[in-house]
Amino acid sequence: MIYKPTTIQEAVALRAANPDTSVYLAGGTDDLRLGSDAEGKSLIDIHGLCSDSIEEKDGKLYIGALCTLQTLKECDKVPAFLREAAGFCSSFIKRNSATVGGNLALKRSDSYLAAAFAAANALVLATSPDGDVEAPVSKYLRCEKACLIRAIVINKDVTGWVKRFGKTSSSHATLIAAVSGNTYALSVSGSEFACGDTPDLAAGMTFCDDITGSAAYKKYLAETVFTLRR
Amino acid sequence: MEIRCRINGENMTLCAEPQERLRDVLYRTGFRSVRDSDDAEGFAGSDTIVFNGKLKYSNLLLAYQAENAEIRTAESLLNGRELNNVQKAMIAAGIVQSAYNAPAAALILTWLLEQKPNAGREDVKEALSGIFIRDAGYEHYYLAVKLAQELRDFGEFRSEIAPSFRPNLDIIGKPFNKIDGAALVSGEPVFVEDKVPENAWTLHVLRSPFASAYIKSIDTAEAEKLDGVAAIITAFNCPDTYYMQAGQGNPEPSPHDRRLFNKKVRHVGDRVAGIVARTPEIAKKAAELIHVVYEPQAAVYTVEEAMAEGAPLVHNGPVKYNAGAPADLDEYNRRAGDEREGDVIYQFPLGADIRKNIAASNKGGIGDMEKGFAEADAIVDCTYQTSQIQHTPLEPHVCYAHVEGGRLVLNCSTQVPYHVRRIVSWVCGIPENKIHVIKERVGGGYGSKQDILIEDLTGYAAWITGKPVYYRNTREEEFIANSTRHPMRARVKMGGKKDGSITAIYMEVCANTGPYGNHCLTVPMNSCSKTLPLFKVDNMAYDLKVFYTNTPPAGAYQGYGTPKGTYGIMMAMAELAEKLGIDYKDMVQKNHVEEGYMLEILKGLGEGREGNVVPVGSCGLDEAIEKGCEMIEWGKKEVSEDPDWKIGKGFAMIMQGSGLPGLDHAEAIAKLETDGTVILNSGGADLGTGLDTISAKIVSEVLKLPMDRITVVSGDTDSCAFDTGAYASSGTFFSGNASLVAVQNLKELILKEAALQMEEAKDDLELRAPGEVYSKKTGKAISYGDLSHTAISGTGRGQMIAHGTFVTAASSVPYGAHFAQVAVNVKTGEIKLQKFYALQDAGTPINPELALCQMYGAVMKSIGHSMYEDMILDKDGKCVNANLTDYGVPMIDDAPDEFKSVLIDVDDKYGPYGAKSISEIACNGAAPAIGIAIHDACGVWIRSWPMTQEKLLKELGKI
Repeated sequence: MIYKPTTIQEAVALRAANPDTSVYLAGGTDDLRLGSDAEGKSLIDIHGLCSDSIEEKDGKLYIGALCTLQTLKECDKVPAFLREAAGFCSSFIKRNSATVGGNLALKRSDSYLAAAFAAANALVLATSPDGDVEAPVSKYLRCEKACLIRAIVINKDVTGWVKRFGKTSSSHATLIAAVSGNTYALSVSGSEFACGDTPDLAAGMTFCDDITGSAAYKKYLAETVFTLRR
Repeated sequence: MEIRCRINGENMTLCAEPQERLRDVLYRTGFRSVRDSDDAEGFAGSDTIVFNGKLKYSNLLLAYQAENAEIRTAESLLNGRELNNVQKAMIAAGIVQSAYNAPAAALILTWLLEQKPNAGREDVKEALSGIFIRDAGYEHYYLAVKLAQELRDFGEFRSEIAPSFRPNLDIIGKPFNKIDGAALVSGEPVFVEDKVPENAWTLHVLRSPFASAYIKSIDTAEAEKLDGVAAIITAFNCPDTYYMQAGQGNPEPSPHDRRLFNKKVRHVGDRVAGIVARTPEIAKKAAELIHVVYEPQAAVYTVEEAMAEGAPLVHNGPVKYNAGAPADLDEYNRRAGDEREGDVIYQFPLGADIRKNIAASNKGGIGDMEKGFAEADAIVDCTYQTSQIQHTPLEPHVCYAHVEGGRLVLNCSTQVPYHVRRIVSWVCGIPENKIHVIKERVGGGYGSKQDILIEDLTGYAAWITGKPVYYRNTREEEFIANSTRHPMRARVKMGGKKDGSITAIYMEVCANTGPYGNHCLTVPMNSCSKTLPLFKVDNMAYDLKVFYTNTPPAGAYQGYGTPKGTYGIMMAMAELAEKLGIDYKDMVQKNHVEEGYMLEILKGLGEGREGNVVPVGSCGLDEAIEKGCEMIEWGKKEVSEDPDWKIGKGFAMIMQGSGLPGLDHAEAIAKLETDGTVILNSGGADLGTGLDTISAKIVSEVLKLPMDRITVVSGDTDSCAFDTGAYASSGTFFSGNASLVAVQNLKELILKEAALQMEEAKDDLELRAPGEVYSKKTGKAISYGDLSHTAISGTGRGQMIAHGTFVTAASSVPYGAHFAQVAVNVKTGEIKLQKFYALQDAGTPINPELALCQMYGAVMKSIGHSMYEDMILDKDGKCVNANLTDYGVPMIDDAPDEFKSVLIDVDDKYGPYGAKSISEIACNGAAPAIGIAIHDACGVWIRSWPMTQEKLLKELGKI
């Protein structure tokens, strides 16, 4: 079944009514891919409900949830480290479809963008069944509540640094780290997302063996990555 | 639903289910360029289209999303039948090889040049970042864009495409468009899938969830009741015929250890039932209704587990021999297990002992090993482990079979049409004249299509049901139910003197052939037979054992066993050089063979038979080493500005073969048509490498005939004569030589007929362009057209048709050296491949531009297996990364920063016009070159594939 709601509220209501059997469809690079968790579920098509562009207002950038990773990567207004993070999705063709909102909403432990946005202290503007919500990305990523991202907001002058480790350019990342000011963030395959104001995030994390590497390897990288030259 | 959209400038209405993938709808509607290599993984890019101005994967779009969309496919690139500049440039650059996704690449690059007319290297890299190229590598894609820009701006190509060889020849050794390039790059329906009619039935295979289990029972009754199910084939109703799936010369040096379906499954993904149904949906539903009762058995996954005392046995049935049975066979067979184990039938002894999981073994050597090691000042004794690697051709294994006129017709993507025919004949129990195998264009093979992995079952299914039957592997099945590179453990013991001379080499190889013995002896043999003959050493010995296990099956893969043996032996030599305190290059130069050196070691290294002892023939090894060392500045230590990054260099010398002398056999038939054109029927199987172009060039060169007046028909068992097939680097050497013999014979017929028609002495006549016989004595000439017309007239002597057969005991060995420069971060373990130089002696490269691209492609594959690729099995033997993303094939971003292929000019005595093989050898050098470079950078040896960041950190003691 494919639903085509005409408002965000309608989309959120549909999702709330079918929590286990529906997913939002944005760029489709995850929902429609081989082996997706969305297989067999109803699709709630959100095209046209959120912005797909990047707008500047009062020193902030409003990145629409349907903005593609390629748009993010190409936009000169976007801080360089965030553009670099968009490039962690190495396929240009996939970046043309994959959306910023979709990548964050999946809450994958190898998310291209989560660490960079969290380090940038970005805000998520979302809508839940209870109404509109606003939360830092780091908080949103840990939140269980289902809501539909409308936009991401960042300070346009924010600076930072990102680093990815992975088997190949196109394989799932083992670890993605980001720093901006005194905010550190880590996405590690198979681990809970970590973010804090000191670089010793690894100390509070648990690591697991998976196809991207052993727990010991990930722990070492997590402990080492913030000591690297930038 | 009906979807209104605009495709390639035309308003169209598509009929589709809303949730159908757009790719499927486009392909079904006739846009054949929109292919699928990854089952909607969003990885390989064969499904790329331009969708509302953006490049997108059509597999990741649903049909309903195309409403009012503007869509472009690669079909839009043609103007009538005229290719666009990008397509022309791609062919010229040599990158249109197996070409399954060449149309998609052409579309991407065309789109790029529309957006950025002056696109440079970084732009090309970004544009191609989402498309997986396995055959030709990525390097000449940059050249293709440059050529397209030149064609646009100047009306001609201005850059050098490839060097030319043999100035005395007209077309051999010169870049010339591949003869099937236009069909491939434009997306013509040239692949098996394009030949499948809408009414074709589906073959679906139910596969084992267990690594080892007896099948106690299969209840298919409920599934058979479904409308649209024509047959369900299982171990309980399939022919009781034992065979093997490797496409090798008959009798094969591999055991017949399987039937279509077995009563014991031996790996996760093994066949349990084959369902022939009207649609894929019905077939899948039927599969769900089949009730199988398994008796799971203990399994083994590694050679260490397989060789352990009391290990579970993968095969434990009666062993039979068609020749050379040992005297104690009856006694041996008294220990056979459950009747469901089935037979293992050897064609001749291969040193097997299946009660110890040994599928084959061999040992031998020359000289006195004890003395050799006693003379050494230093000895290294190290073990090197290689992993399980999948070929990942862009076109998965596909077959379409139907019955026509009482004959079974199979459209195949195969490297071995005649072996397909023979094995299907065995399985179906019908003679070969009742089977017609048509090799379509092959969208990537690399050895995996040397095996008859699906044609056996598809052919049988069509034969017993009378239905047109189509089978296509999923990408997951390509990993779990296909063939893979044999994992191997190579122990190399090497001794040397302080002056750098090697006194003894001992190789102990343990290989994992998986559940069945395809190529079980010959692949591991290559790890010794294509490495030890590189060395001028008096004392050399090898001992190899091949073990059955319950992993996904192994088989042929480009390079065969050589990449693994080369990894071990070259790494060991570098380790020995370090121990002796001498320069590795000096040691290589001191010990490598040169022309004329008698290769006594070959005596024991045949394909299960006694090998031929021959001297080293033409050999460009020394030049490759010298030139490569100059290019990479061997001996100069590079220093990074960042102290965490260390830079190192390494290289490896390499060799291969050109077919199998004494075993391979090739034939061709050359016909002068009624208008003076030529059709050459070649038994050879062009798998995208340009073999047909080689044959056409040979005809052109001999007959002085323009290329557009020559057609090559190949790989069709009805119209062509026998050829063992395209494997073991035999294509150019064997099939090319057969074409040469055939056309030389045709030349004789032409001269003889012309002498009669012109009433002149044959010796006064010669052939000249553009296809005529010329009298040196009288100055008269007659065109082939006139000559042929008269020959086939009512009073003529008949059509001029010549047959050529090529067999030989001669060996034409290609040599080379591959160089790598890596940067290693000693803090993070990251390894960056900064430079890679591949230098190879290919004799006369008949198609130099294609040869270069085959080198780039093979090197990329070997970079993949050296650094990234690895099939990971869980504790139950299930492959947990059976998709392209998780498995880790290299994409354009993973290619070396600086990458060069160089052809060393050597003329060979035996190859057609001096040609040797080119592509397999290029798989052999990367692993040792990179491994040695890593050691040069940071002082550690990584002795297993893939050489990853994590392994480096372990070796550095960081984790």
